[in-house]
Amino acid sequence: MTTALTQGLERIPDQIGYLVVSEEGVLASAGELENDEHTAGVIMQMVRTACRFRLHGTAEPPFKRMSVMLEDYVYAVTISGQKVFVVKRQNNQREPVNV
Amino acid sequence: MGCCFSSDSETSEQNEEVKPLIPDPNLDRKPTNGSERNADSLPSNRTDEQALLTTILQRTALNIIDVSAVDSQGMEQHEYMDRARQYSTKLEVLSRTLSQKKPVPLPSLTSQPHQVLAADLVPYADLQQVSKIAAYAYSAISQIKVDAKEELVVQFAIP
Repeated sequence: MTTALTQGLERIPDQIGYLVVSEEGVLASAGELENDEHTAGVIMQMVRTACRFRLHGTAEPPFKRMSVMLEDYVYAVTISGQKVFVVKRQNNQREPVNV
Repeated sequence: MGCCFSSDSETSEQNEEVKPLIPDPNLDRKPTNGSERNADSLPSNRTDEQALLTTILQRTALNIIDVSAVDSQGMEQHEYMDRARQYSTKLEVLSRTLSQKKPVPLPSLTSQPHQVLAADLVPYADLQQVSKIAAYAYSAISQIKVDAKEELVVQFAIP
């Protein structure tokens, strides 16, 4: 079961860690997020808050993925089948340079 | 002729209507009694306006609870502990029923989590635009201020 969840996450380009979290707790973790229950808790709170946003009174949350963008990394978060998937990816984007 | 108006009778009627169930310690205070006595002594000289003003004052005095004047009775230690225990038991019962409410289940945002997470990151240009918009909003909000045009406190002019 865990391999099915994590196999896809392992293959994500430039990922440096991931978490799979459910209401009960962390189901899987790897890389820089290995055993990082603190980050898991914070991200759970953030995504639960974000899910309460609604656009123009629609019934569904208006987004598929939540990105927490930091200086050099991004935490990409989504929810599927009552589980929260978090992937920490390198953020190599910089100001485009005009040559 | 006859008595067209008597503030005396009006006062006693009002007292019956608004008589508190529990004796209010503040009613024994001097100012209230003083104003009542004044009303009793000048019925014939008062204009309608004056009488109305007195009525308002008396009604307010009856309804006002002067917090600074309340004499705190000081409970015994055991009474205090008993009450604290009663309150915490009540709270426990209530919090038990509250926690039984089911928390909102997580909505499903996608059926393809790996695909969604592997997709391109938010473009730098978009990030810059959002940061700019947020900065504008912040600056606008920080400039909200009160534009005082008139005096807030004025004196009523009684001719």
